Amino acid sequence: MASMTMDDPKMGEKAHWEPEDLLSGLTLKQILFSNDYRHMALKGIFTAFIMLALGGMFAIIFRTELAVPDVQFIGARVYMTLMTLHGMVMVFGFLIPLVVSINYYMLPKVLGNDRLLWSGAAQASYWILIVAAVLLMIGRPDFTWTAYAPMSLRTGNPNLWMGYVAIILVAVSEFLAGAVLFRNAISSKGGLKNTPLMGWAAGTIGLLFMVSVFPLGFAGYGMLSDWAQWTDIAWFDPSRGGSIEFFLYVFWTYGHPAVYLPFVPAIAILYTIMPRFLGRPMWSYWSGVVAFTLLAIGAMPIGPHHFQPAHTISGDYQRFVQILTMLVFIPSVMHVFNWISTLFMAPIPDSARRAIPFKFMVFSIAFIVYGGATAFLNAQIAPDSDFIHNTYWIPAHFHAMFFGFSGQMAFAGFYFLYPYITGRMYNQRLGNWHFWLWQVGLFIKITGMGVAGYLYFPRWVYDYLPFPGWANAQMAITIGGYMVALGFLAFLANVFWSAKYGAKVTGDPWPISNDTPEAAAAAPAE
Amino acid sequence: MENALGIWGPQAIMMAITASFTVLGMIMLLAAMLMKKRWKPSYTVEFVFIGIMLGLVWYADDLSTNTYTAYQQDLNAEEKMVSGNYDGSGEEAFDEVVTVVAFQWGFAFINEDEEISRNALIVRPGEKVLLKIVSNDVIHGFNIPVAQITAEIDPNFKRELWIKAPDVPGKYLIQCVNYCGIGHAQMKAWLVVTDGENNGESA
Repeated sequence: MASMTMDDPKMGEKAHWEPEDLLSGLTLKQILFSNDYRHMALKGIFTAFIMLALGGMFAIIFRTELAVPDVQFIGARVYMTLMTLHGMVMVFGFLIPLVVSINYYMLPKVLGNDRLLWSGAAQASYWILIVAAVLLMIGRPDFTWTAYAPMSLRTGNPNLWMGYVAIILVAVSEFLAGAVLFRNAISSKGGLKNTPLMGWAAGTIGLLFMVSVFPLGFAGYGMLSDWAQWTDIAWFDPSRGGSIEFFLYVFWTYGHPAVYLPFVPAIAILYTIMPRFLGRPMWSYWSGVVAFTLLAIGAMPIGPHHFQPAHTISGDYQRFVQILTMLVFIPSVMHVFNWISTLFMAPIPDSARRAIPFKFMVFSIAFIVYGGATAFLNAQIAPDSDFIHNTYWIPAHFHAMFFGFSGQMAFAGFYFLYPYITGRMYNQRLGNWHFWLWQVGLFIKITGMGVAGYLYFPRWVYDYLPFPGWANAQMAITIGGYMVALGFLAFLANVFWSAKYGAKVTGDPWPISNDTPEAAAAAPAE
Repeated sequence: MENALGIWGPQAIMMAITASFTVLGMIMLLAAMLMKKRWKPSYTVEFVFIGIMLGLVWYADDLSTNTYTAYQQDLNAEEKMVSGNYDGSGEEAFDEVVTVVAFQWGFAFINEDEEISRNALIVRPGEKVLLKIVSNDVIHGFNIPVAQITAEIDPNFKRELWIKAPDVPGKYLIQCVNYCGIGHAQMKAWLVVTDGENNGESA
């Protein structure tokens, strides 16, 4: 049983699926309604890429506007709509569905079930999210993804109810996805001690999904109710007796765990493909298990650090949140320590060094270090009430974590799966272009945001004063953004070109090999 | 203890610790990719690592909390301090007490003589100014970069902070950093430091 799983020490020898052309054989009926986990995961993955293209397009438009001071071609309302949709589409439409879909694809093989349990719920989760995305596009809210009441209740768009309904639907969709992850995790037959790390990730994050979406759904309902004023009860609108503090607590009780919803499944992908490329197990299984558990426990109570320099939170409670936030740093440190130790404890095969997914994986570790280290600083009240709160420092932090780590890890997972779903290998040259454009582009973009934030550049502005520091940082971010967009184009070209003309793969697409005899002698004896 | 970036005191220490995490992580990753010699780290290494982290959490909590509360206790203790929270006693220590109304979209400053200024907080160089900030509509942010302070202003609550005005006369930015509606980008004001001669026009 255990030898079937990817987490097995010997799994480097085995291909887990036969490479085959799944894509061209798909019928419309299969695409829409098939509950086969591979069909469903592929649907989710390619929908996520469409969302990435949309969200990226929004970003490119407002990045062009922001490159230089003053108003170029879009005004405040268009800018804020694009910015809100960028945030919502990227997190709820692209990142979470992409990592979850890749988990759907891998879990059945990793756990040895060879099918996704509760696949109907996964199907429902997908379609509910599609409805939410369509509502968002039509409703075009401009209240940012955090939707702070009462500001979010007082914008003039008559279709705004669609934005609130979309938030509720996202909560329902994520609840179902979490239930599927959790159900599959507990189906692992070897008991807790033999559950692969991807199973532990799915179990802990599945629970977190299911618990944390209730406040999100309630926030969506409360805003809808307050906006429509269909009862005398006001939840969040202080002019009618509601409470802003209540909104903040409700929203961030979801909002902080929400950042782990893409993060933990991305870590699960890493734990699954890293041993596969190295041909040896992770440095420590138990370190990973403990880290997953601690992260899930610590995630819920630390939401208030998002509104830290406010009157709402103060005194000992504020200090408690500060300490707990810094402590949640530790599970992530344990993960990174585990990964680096795994890389370090024995030579890395040449085949891995060449593989695009492996490269993405190594650089996503670099980005988690780059962006994650600042989490320690951000948690502290003193610097938070200086240059951190709501300046570009925060986008720098979460673009490094969301995109630099989670997003890039998801792409590593997709490149890894590519020969299994098309029966062909991707084009190495285009893959390298994608890889380098993203590493350099992301680094420039994230560093530019960090510098802008350190200079107190406020978030959510379409126009800014022509201070040289601000303007230079904005120009750098825009250049980095363009590079990321070019990299995405190289990726798309690769996906379509290689599906038709790529080298055919039979047998294991990821054999472990070394180029020189000396290196081969030092390789693990498998 | 001012560093090359012009950051001082506790901030500089914490920035340095954060930067050294990044550098340490990058060196470890580079070593893992490039080094010829390899061995398996023991659990002890991880425990030591976590132990150091726990120590740093304790230290950072202590430093951050002390930094944050020390602002309130003795306004003259640390000349470098330029801003802080106010705990509601000892108003006579301030040269100026100003009520700030944050609204969609701008700031109004009301001084002790009940004179209202839209979008300009006029003070003298080096003055200690107590700001009582309220919002009458939505959640706003209040940030004065030169005073190194940010606060989030919730309606229904009064938020009190103090700043020490810069010694050099000039115009300094005051801005909203919380998204507060469509006019957020225009929600700016100026801290005008004037010695009574050039009315802040020098900067």
